[in-house]
Amino acid sequence: MTALTIDRINKRYGNLHILKDISIPIGQGEFVSLLGPSGCGKTTTLRCIAGFEQPDSGRILFGDRDVTRALPEQRDIGMVFQSYALFPHMTVAENLSFGLEVRKVSVPNRQRRIADVLAMVRLEGYDKRYPRELSGGQQQRVALARALVIEPSVLLLDEPLANLDATLRDEMRFFIRDLQQRVGITSIYVTHDQAEAMVMSDKIVVMSAGTISQFGSPREIYERPTSQSVAGFIGRSNTISGKIAEALGQDSYKVDTPCGSLGTTGPAGLAKGTDVRIMIRPENIRTLRHEAGTGHQQGAGEAGHGENALAGAVINSIYQGSANQLAVKLGSGDRIVVDVGGRNPLDVGEQVTLRFAARDTWLLAS
Amino acid sequence: MTRASSGVEKTIWDRLFTALVAAIYIFLMFPIVLVVVLSFNSGEFLAFPLEGFSLRWFEALFSNKRFLDATLYSLQIAATSTIVNGVIGTLAAIYVARHATVARDYIRLLMTSPLLVPEILTAIALLFYFYEIRIGTDYSIGIQIGHIVVTFPYVFLNVSSALFNFDRSQEEAARSLGAGGWMTFRRVTLPAIKPGIITGCLFAFVISFDIFNISLLLKSLGKNTLPLELFDYLRFNFDPTAAAIASLSIFMTFAAILIIDRTVGLRSLRF
Repeated sequence: MTALTIDRINKRYGNLHILKDISIPIGQGEFVSLLGPSGCGKTTTLRCIAGFEQPDSGRILFGDRDVTRALPEQRDIGMVFQSYALFPHMTVAENLSFGLEVRKVSVPNRQRRIADVLAMVRLEGYDKRYPRELSGGQQQRVALARALVIEPSVLLLDEPLANLDATLRDEMRFFIRDLQQRVGITSIYVTHDQAEAMVMSDKIVVMSAGTISQFGSPREIYERPTSQSVAGFIGRSNTISGKIAEALGQDSYKVDTPCGSLGTTGPAGLAKGTDVRIMIRPENIRTLRHEAGTGHQQGAGEAGHGENALAGAVINSIYQGSANQLAVKLGSGDRIVVDVGGRNPLDVGEQVTLRFAARDTWLLAS
Repeated sequence: MTRASSGVEKTIWDRLFTALVAAIYIFLMFPIVLVVVLSFNSGEFLAFPLEGFSLRWFEALFSNKRFLDATLYSLQIAATSTIVNGVIGTLAAIYVARHATVARDYIRLLMTSPLLVPEILTAIALLFYFYEIRIGTDYSIGIQIGHIVVTFPYVFLNVSSALFNFDRSQEEAARSLGAGGWMTFRRVTLPAIKPGIITGCLFAFVISFDIFNISLLLKSLGKNTLPLELFDYLRFNFDPTAAAIASLSIFMTFAAILIIDRTVGLRSLRF
């Protein structure tokens, strides 16, 4: 059952078309991230769901209830803001109590629910503190508690971790995700941080320039991106241009490239002769020292049994701690980035062979 | 002060600059101190040398019916200006900060214009206007409107700056928690801008109590504000009663500053 339906909403500011026919179905208890660069429309979408903005056309449904024209206070939402937006003149308990007072919850019930939710965000004993007496992470947890204590039907989070430092941000990702799963609340999370979206979400909506580039699970988005912009935005990727030489199966193709022909995986139904780009993630490429003189020339451009090999030379090496990131220049002139684990035994200038499986590639429309 | 506390070595120029600032302050404050000192002098004239400590001039002030009436009249006008501006200045600031779109900067300029236009011009303009609409200077309403106009920008500016520094997502948070517009304003916005309102109102009160030009031109017949009464008095007398009145005015200003500091903190003062 869809808990929340966004149905072809459009939003314009003057000549700017901010949202173009955005439709997102969100299931009960799902955690959905709206991901994209600034100005892509993700925040506007969230604000339309919250009721702070009105779409020019289209509908927003909470369950069966059409809330498109409802005021924010009529929608039954909990919202967490980037700036926390705690009420500075109220204590933590008073902040949490606000939404309950509005709902006319009795005093004993109020106290019980506040205590429960404070325990949930691990802030027992902080009820008498003022927001200014708390650290950034604690303030964010209070903001989360304030949104959850009213037991809303939808939780909206607008870049809640953007103001925290890196370590705390990592910790809070798991904290929020864990809390969301325990409460089982339908959540919509706006972020420009792809790593955040990857680890937290059931579904990711990748947005760009007011449209949805792709909607799917983190795995689908990472491994089966539908466009080069999605592939480029989520993680690092290499692409090699080519033309489909023949279809080997429903989703496997032989692709002719300047480096030879490669076995690849791609969406079904690509016709022979279609211009494509082959995407390969750096971590899926194995790098081997080129064994000259053995005569075993693991052919540049031999499409073997789902295994590809390309020859090239290391032109750059960056130490990243857990791995080395190498840049390899192929015979065709293409530059490929690969990860090499452990101590890097390869030097700049060395000849290498790159190996990768056909199933680790993905074809993008050119 | 920041440099000294940051532990930076003071150069000769720092010291000279400090001395200069001190000299300017002494130059500005000395007459005020002098007036206060003279108001406690037992001598007959507003002059040195001092003869002894006495409260006789304050006594003279409070036993003089004209001064008492004038003080009450000034207090009444200042209080009315404060209350009226507390409401309309706050509403105007909210309008400009939140709802004015196209002509926002022009409206803001218009709102602050009583500060920018010389007071005497405002007074003359209002005087013409009041005669035009047949109020003239027969009633207190004229001088009262004049005071409200001149002190309006103090409330407007202070509340504007409080609104400008206010994170609006707090209001959105309140709305998302189910609070309607009025409750959001009362429970979230108003407490946030309260320091601005208090500061603006105190300024309006003190300025209204002190201003002269507007009162001189717009006063109704037979009624003087305290500064006007003082001016009249000094034309024919030169005894320390005048100093006592001035001291009273200075004490009031200090009291206002003290109240601001105790309630909202001087650091929240912004223009």
